[in-house]
Amino acid sequence: MSQKIKDNSEGWQSGMARSITFIVTKDCQLACKYCYLVGKNTKERMDWKIAKEAIDYILDREREFPEESVAWEFIGGEPFLEIELIDKICDYLKKEMYRRDHHWFNSYRFSFSTNGINYHEDKVQNFIKKNYNHLSIGITIDGTELKHDLNRVYKHSEKGSYKDVVKNIPLWLKQFPGAATKVTISSTDIPYIKDSVLHLYNLGIKEVNINCVFEDVWEENDDVDFENQLIELADNIIDNGYYKEYACSFFSEFIGKPMDKELDNQNWCGAGKMLSIDAAGNFYPCTRFAQYSLRDKPAWIIGNVRDGIDQNKLRPFLTLDRTTQSSDECINCEVASGCAWCQGENYDAADTHTIYQRSTAICKMHKARVRANNYYWNKLYRKLEMEGMKEEYERQKTKVKESIC
Amino acid sequence: MLTHLIILLDDTSPSYCHYDVTLKERRLIGLDDLKSGILFAMKENLNIQFVYPSYELPEEYVEAIESIDHTKIKPDSQSDEADVLILSDWKEVITDIAYNSTCIIRASRTELLDNRKQLKALMSKISRLNIAITDVDIFSDNDIDSYKNLLSCIADDVYAIIKTGKSLQVNLLTDLMMLDEMNNCNAGVNNITLAPNGRFYLCPAFYYNNSQDEVGDLRTGLKIKNQQLLRLDHAPICRNCDAFQCKRCIWLNGKLTLDRNTPSHQQCVIAHLERNSSCDLLEKLNRNGVKINNTHKIIKKQELDPFNIVNRWK
Repeated sequence: MSQKIKDNSEGWQSGMARSITFIVTKDCQLACKYCYLVGKNTKERMDWKIAKEAIDYILDREREFPEESVAWEFIGGEPFLEIELIDKICDYLKKEMYRRDHHWFNSYRFSFSTNGINYHEDKVQNFIKKNYNHLSIGITIDGTELKHDLNRVYKHSEKGSYKDVVKNIPLWLKQFPGAATKVTISSTDIPYIKDSVLHLYNLGIKEVNINCVFEDVWEENDDVDFENQLIELADNIIDNGYYKEYACSFFSEFIGKPMDKELDNQNWCGAGKMLSIDAAGNFYPCTRFAQYSLRDKPAWIIGNVRDGIDQNKLRPFLTLDRTTQSSDECINCEVASGCAWCQGENYDAADTHTIYQRSTAICKMHKARVRANNYYWNKLYRKLEMEGMKEEYERQKTKVKESIC
Repeated sequence: MLTHLIILLDDTSPSYCHYDVTLKERRLIGLDDLKSGILFAMKENLNIQFVYPSYELPEEYVEAIESIDHTKIKPDSQSDEADVLILSDWKEVITDIAYNSTCIIRASRTELLDNRKQLKALMSKISRLNIAITDVDIFSDNDIDSYKNLLSCIADDVYAIIKTGKSLQVNLLTDLMMLDEMNNCNAGVNNITLAPNGRFYLCPAFYYNNSQDEVGDLRTGLKIKNQQLLRLDHAPICRNCDAFQCKRCIWLNGKLTLDRNTPSHQQCVIAHLERNSSCDLLEKLNRNGVKINNTHKIIKKQELDPFNIVNRWK
């Protein structure tokens, strides 16, 4: 290839990127207790024929995918179990985007969310070296060994996976110094939140994206315990100065405000603007709509690699707004901003076959978060004022993205 | 608010809308269920529409039905006292039809074009015709011109009939002239269906498509989950649309887009082609001095699918 490939930041338009996800396998070494993937199995592995058909389908239709950039995402199960297939897919993608002079050439990323267990293996490392400038890799580590191993256990032995993951964190951070991790909170994790976030900071992870699961798992008083944990975390972050360099997505200045029915009426998630492909060659509006992600509802298939995308089945997603799917209580909620939802969970939990019934299982946890968040900002700004550092902080504060999936 | 109860008297009662009757064996609604349905309607203050089968009902059924004010929707083979007649055979449509009848004809677009002469003859004898297109689901953008042509042909015939001084309504073409707000089917919101198995359904289509898809029964009452999603204000594409004559069929929505509050591309395009044809017909009538008490001026639209501009409404 004679054309220069731009570096990591050049050309990449994250805000205008199309996410295209290959569900390369439904297998994983782990059986995390909070995992929403209820139908994991060892049989549904994507083969090259399906992957190639999917790529050809997408690249053949450049006008139907007009976004400036693309994130080619690989998900499982555990995607690195299929590193050979992924390598072949990525080589083909690069070659084809170049050959076709496709507008995504030079404006693409390969994105992974991995449990990190085989991150150090040669095949994975060779792949990383080969594609380094176009890679985004997130390793999921839930915090302290105790917290991590509470949920993230091997599927047959139920042994915790912490030790096998944490040994790869230094290599990962060396290769991707700004890398962020994603932490998921379920009911049993609440007592460990503060220690876990601080532990991740101490491992050198400067951005911790953390969210409560959207499923209806919450017990009585979980909100009280959650709020207390977050307040303890807030005290630690502020008293020890972590806020200067580290970020935790629990604390955001933009949450906990009322929302205007008309001006703040956007949908929260990007389902329908993404595309997922599974081993059978079926297309989904998001991975969460594949059958292995759904407890009670049939898969929401929007087409397949042979017949293409049925645009009718995307229409409900592309016309979604906040108020139409929300109850009056949510619409009129005084702390509505930042209260997230997952379209797939909404669909799975809905009383009918619809994506327009917003699940509110997370309500009390959001309200607890808002109270702790208010505490955090009141305390932080008072401290900064006392130290004469408020303006400086405003200029330099770390931006945290809201991550929910 | 519910205003109407549709009672399917038999599994073989004919379709009056987009759906097909998938059950072939006769099964009359139980007499107790019929009486309970009537009682339910009386207590809920609902108007009843009985959909008759193509055979005579036992005397005790007739007696129960006549105990309440109602509308009779009947197949053409049982046309006596019908308030609404469902026509099944093009050859028979022209005979024995009283001028004031409302008729329903179910047909594919091709059938309508092929039987244009019979259609015109029928329209010249009746006061209102409801046409239920049976192949909405296979409509594609390649069919736009042919449907436009079909509507234009029917509009020419409607014009010729109205020009003689006769009053005629054809749902696809004249309803819009009289409407200044949406007048959709509103299944599950304004009307509900009692099936021969004694259970409630949003409309007959849901019963024939999947009898498990019930919304309650006579014993426990109605339980319509997510009823708000059946309402116009919860339909993002439809709530700003002005193709007021569109049926906004929630059964077709669910079948084609998987969500009942979202219309398919087909349904939108068909409704907008009808909208434009209504506009042409109204202009032609006005141009030629035929006075129509239309409620508003219809403006033709190039964009046939409001989905394409829905983001401008947000």
